[in-house]
Amino acid sequence: MTTALTQGLERIPDQIGYLVISEEGVLASAGELENDEHTAGVIMQMVRTACRFRLHGAAEPLFKRMSVMFEDYVYAVTISGQKVFVVKRQNNQREPVIV
Amino acid sequence: PLKCYNLQTNTTLFSLRVKPLIPDPNLDRKPTSGSERNADSLPSNRTDEQALLTTILQRTALNIIDVSAVDSQGMEQHEYMDRARQYSTKLEVLSRTLSQKKPVPLPSLTSQPHQVLAADLVPYADVQQVSKIAAYAYSAISQIKVDAKEELVVQFAIP
Repeated sequence: MTTALTQGLERIPDQIGYLVISEEGVLASAGELENDEHTAGVIMQMVRTACRFRLHGAAEPLFKRMSVMFEDYVYAVTISGQKVFVVKRQNNQREPVIV
Repeated sequence: PLKCYNLQTNTTLFSLRVKPLIPDPNLDRKPTSGSERNADSLPSNRTDEQALLTTILQRTALNIIDVSAVDSQGMEQHEYMDRARQYSTKLEVLSRTLSQKKPVPLPSLTSQPHQVLAADLVPYADVQQVSKIAAYAYSAISQIKVDAKEELVVQFAIP
């Protein structure tokens, strides 16, 4: 079961780790997020809070993906089928240099 | 007895029997021989002053309700116990249903999680813009302050 969940995550470009989390706990983890229950907990709280934002009482949440951006890396988070998917990706974007 | 009125429906909600704090002697005393009682004139001798003080004291006592002295409506012991048991059962039922409340289930944001997570990251320019907007908002909020127009504490002057 974990292979189906994680296969797609493994192939994400410049990914350096991932987590798959359910209400019960961490289902799968790898790379820099391997066994990182602390980060899993924090991200679960963040995404639950983000889901509560609604425009004028609309039924659907406002977003498809939540990005937590740091200087050199990003946590990209989404929810599908009662599971939270987190991918840690390298962030190589810099100020564009005008030559 | 004191009565509590509902001003809107003009009905009595409940009434209390209260004992005055100070036994209340005959309030409509005969005026002192000769002179009229002038509210503005100060008592000229000791007895007048005493009388004035006593009146003030009585009036104040009449306006104070001693809650501890109120008689209960006369509920019998077994009625009281029954009601206490009734309330405690209700509380138990309520606390059970409260603890059983499940947390809100996670909504589904997409049916293609891998695709969504693999998509291009948020452009650097967008991040810069959001950071700038947040900095403006923070600056604006930190400039909110109280504009004190009047003294907060004043002397309460009795003319």
